[in-house]
Amino acid sequence: MSTTGTTEAAAPAPVRQRRRLDRRWAGLALLLAAAVYAPFQLVPFHVFQLTMVLVYAVALLGLNLLVGHAGQISLGHGAFFAVGAYASAVLLDRWDLPYPLTLPVAAAVAFLLGLALGVPAMRLRGLYLALVTLAIAIFLVPLLKRFEELTGGSMGLTLAKPQPPAWSGLAEDQWLYFLTLAVAVAAFLLAASLLRSRVGRALHAVRDNEIAAEVMGVRLSFYKTLAFAWSAMYAGAAGCVYTWVIGFVSPDSFTVNLSITMLAGLVVGGLGSLAGPVLGALFVMFVPSIAQDVNDAAPGVIFGLLIIVVMYVAPTGLAGLAGRLTRKIPRKE
Amino acid sequence: MSADLVVEDLTAGYGDAQVLHGLRLTVREGEVCAILGPNGAGKTTLLRALSGMVRTRGTIRLGDAALTGRPPDAVARLGVAHVPEGRGTFMPLTVEENLRLGAYVRRGPDVETDLERVYAYFPVLRKRLKQAAGSLSGGEQQMLALGRALMLRPRLLLLDEPSLGLAPIVTRELFGIVRTINEEERTTVVVVEQNAHLALGVAQQAHVLETGRIVLSGTAAQIQADEQVARSYLGYRV
Repeated sequence: MSTTGTTEAAAPAPVRQRRRLDRRWAGLALLLAAAVYAPFQLVPFHVFQLTMVLVYAVALLGLNLLVGHAGQISLGHGAFFAVGAYASAVLLDRWDLPYPLTLPVAAAVAFLLGLALGVPAMRLRGLYLALVTLAIAIFLVPLLKRFEELTGGSMGLTLAKPQPPAWSGLAEDQWLYFLTLAVAVAAFLLAASLLRSRVGRALHAVRDNEIAAEVMGVRLSFYKTLAFAWSAMYAGAAGCVYTWVIGFVSPDSFTVNLSITMLAGLVVGGLGSLAGPVLGALFVMFVPSIAQDVNDAAPGVIFGLLIIVVMYVAPTGLAGLAGRLTRKIPRKE
Repeated sequence: MSADLVVEDLTAGYGDAQVLHGLRLTVREGEVCAILGPNGAGKTTLLRALSGMVRTRGTIRLGDAALTGRPPDAVARLGVAHVPEGRGTFMPLTVEENLRLGAYVRRGPDVETDLERVYAYFPVLRKRLKQAAGSLSGGEQQMLALGRALMLRPRLLLLDEPSLGLAPIVTRELFGIVRTINEEERTTVVVVEQNAHLALGVAQQAHVLETGRIVLSGTAAQIQADEQVARSYLGYRV
């Protein structure tokens, strides 16, 4: 009875919703078309850079599941990235496994490690959880150096990169790019369908209100641990593709810095949105080198300042900023 | 089979602080029971004890099932829906997602039927389906919380201060719906409420709680008629 005024305003909502959805799919299709077209227009170095953006995007997709959707924090994501990279490298180096097979193995290894570490870690919250995950990132590098006969110690492992099959007619950099793109698209679709399901809703419930989630029958520890394991699995898959693309792994490639940069990149890109990881990956890939160009002496300062500026201009991340800008345009028609 | 709620020698607390000291009460299946009392009496803690959110000792049974010592998610699976203090809205999620989460412990096509049933009780929710739940008014959020609890198809519904922060007219509407739900679905309800007058209006029986003990029990009419109670606990003059 008190709501008669809002009846008309609420009526066209489903139509608006559908139109927005159509636009979203159209945008994604366009983006995919551009992604397929790009490597034929760019010089190999730029193709390589784009490939690395996709690698980071896969890792950040996983981090986003944990941080953006389940509301937990991890400063150790780089560790699982390293685990995936090394798993793939060791399999290629030691057992000469065909490289496509290293992807599921690396993902599974990272998933299981994430599960094992997630069970105790996810009993903690906030700063305590941050500290424990940071510890994972810290102890992993010395650990890799120790198993020298397997991991090559501090010298690392050098591997042959996957070669394009003759039928494709592609150059090596293009082939690596398309492999990565395929993994990224699959990872993206998996995350999107996961988040739309009952499981996705449960994750969001855990993030938004633990008490309410619990009294509705959602098992908090189960979902937190699962989210941690999934995020590790994504990082592991990304690490595996990293090995394919770079052809070299060493402990120095996976320092604590990598974990922190990933978390910073994700927050800058936009937590909890599907575009956030891609924008965050662009940030992780390019901003450090831009910072280097601006000032050789203090790239860290420039990097930090840029993060501060972005968070000031776009507190919900670049994805949130983009959303705000595109929503404003049709309203002015 | 009866699904009475039976509570015996219930003690509960937080850390070293014991809040409930040996409560004993029975709520018959299909009845509404009001828990009244001043601030800090342990009303909210009683509800939390019933849904497994605090450590308890003693006996809590719902029909044949023992609830004591089970974690909240297991209690929910036994058909206990708790509308927590402050409504527990998932703010960024849409109204529909909030409702579907209510049916988390169940699956299958009857979720759609139940959604329709909730919209029938709360038509305003249907208009807000795709809206972020955080953008609803306080009254709408309380309706959402109640609707979400119904999605569980509860045998026992626990309501914690549904009137908190709401306009009197909204509160009355809400209690009217609680009464309808109780009559139509035969859901057992335990409601904690500061507004004793309204709570006694829908309840068959009531207990007055003070510093963790039940100091008075009776039918809603008896409690309402008791002058001493009215003066001491219910806050209106006779």
